[in-house]
Amino acid sequence: MNASTPAIKIEGLAYTYGRAEAVRDFDLTVNPGRCYGLFGRNGAGKTTTMKCLLNLLRPQRGSVRVFGLDPAKQEVEVKRRIAYVPDQVAFYPWMTIRETLDYLASFRENWNRKTEAELLGRFRLDASQKTGGLSKGQRTQVALISAICPETDLLVLDEPTSGLDPIVRREFIETVIGAYQEGNPGQRTILVSTHLITEFEGLIDEFTIMDGGRAVLSLDADQARERYQKIRVRFAQPPMDLDLKTALRVRRDGRELELIVNGGGPALLEQLRLRNPESLTSEALTLEEVFVATLKT
Amino acid sequence: MVFQINFKSGMPVYLQVVDQVKAAAASGALQPGEGLPSIRPLAEELRVNRNTIAKAYSELESLGVIETLPGKGCFLKTNHSPLRKEVRRKLLTEEVDQAIVKAHHFQVPRAEFLELVNERLDALDEKRRANEEQKTN
Repeated sequence: MNASTPAIKIEGLAYTYGRAEAVRDFDLTVNPGRCYGLFGRNGAGKTTTMKCLLNLLRPQRGSVRVFGLDPAKQEVEVKRRIAYVPDQVAFYPWMTIRETLDYLASFRENWNRKTEAELLGRFRLDASQKTGGLSKGQRTQVALISAICPETDLLVLDEPTSGLDPIVRREFIETVIGAYQEGNPGQRTILVSTHLITEFEGLIDEFTIMDGGRAVLSLDADQARERYQKIRVRFAQPPMDLDLKTALRVRRDGRELELIVNGGGPALLEQLRLRNPESLTSEALTLEEVFVATLKT
Repeated sequence: MVFQINFKSGMPVYLQVVDQVKAAAASGALQPGEGLPSIRPLAEELRVNRNTIAKAYSELESLGVIETLPGKGCFLKTNHSPLRKEVRRKLLTEEVDQAIVKAHHFQVPRAEFLELVNERLDALDEKRRANEEQKTN
């Protein structure tokens, strides 16, 4: 395998539950070392897509490759290279945390005990406690430990922080950045699905917004923040004959306008500036605002 | 030093880190020989991708602003720019030209523009003095 093999390559993926099309004609390329966000509302097809990567579901159409391998045909080889934190974490409730981690470690060829001890300490987890008595946040923490210790090249996170309190959410993300990424700087790949986009804003390099099983927008995060702008302008008089065709969305109230643009921001700003506005400001949209703007228009 | 990331600025995150180190160096908030935070704790604290910070630091290193001492970390360098004087002038000219174009559109005349430049240079000097005083106290 060479350096240019994508960590994930999905082409024309389709999956239908009964009559409900969960994913259709979906493409995705994630290059090694990237942190890739899969954004979408509930039911957009994020989990189904991830399950196809893990061979928990078989694609009905299209192809899925993980490091160039087919998860259905080379399941062991693929699973060796992936760690996964599902949205619903379940363990055998009669096992202690210690037993659970040992059990999970027994399926792995590599398990970093030092990282394990460090993270147990960081999360203030008592390894002798039975997993049945853990809170949702603690179960997610144990799942994260079990995903990081094998030191895989790819980490797949499915709505990992939903339903957790803000402190646990922060710690979760810090751990992904620190303990996971630091292990092999520049090479660790992350695929994360979430609708808590703000939390992951700084982590995401690139993202795809899914809706109705399709990709509606795929973009580099820095590019998105450069292209999508919110412009606020106020004139002395209500403005006439402004050319706002390039704006994605226009809110207008008398002398004031709020515009959302996707590209063409500088040109529009220039046009507005020439009309001597009383005030004129612009700011980038956050990824969450890009998400809302994309799905509401 | 303490970094502030603003996702609404529309500027790539790594460039924000680069600019803040440059600004801190110019104002004396960061002194030559002083260390920068290590990549991992800074990335965790700002909750940004580790690669983003690594990219910012390698950019700063190639610009000659910081140097990496193996096993010790990144430090602000004494002598900044590895570029020749003409190149430095040319790069600065581009930035000044942009400011001049903006001044034109904001209808700021020459005298006022120059006054503003002086004012900003004074402000930076003032900041530098304040930082120096703090260091000696």
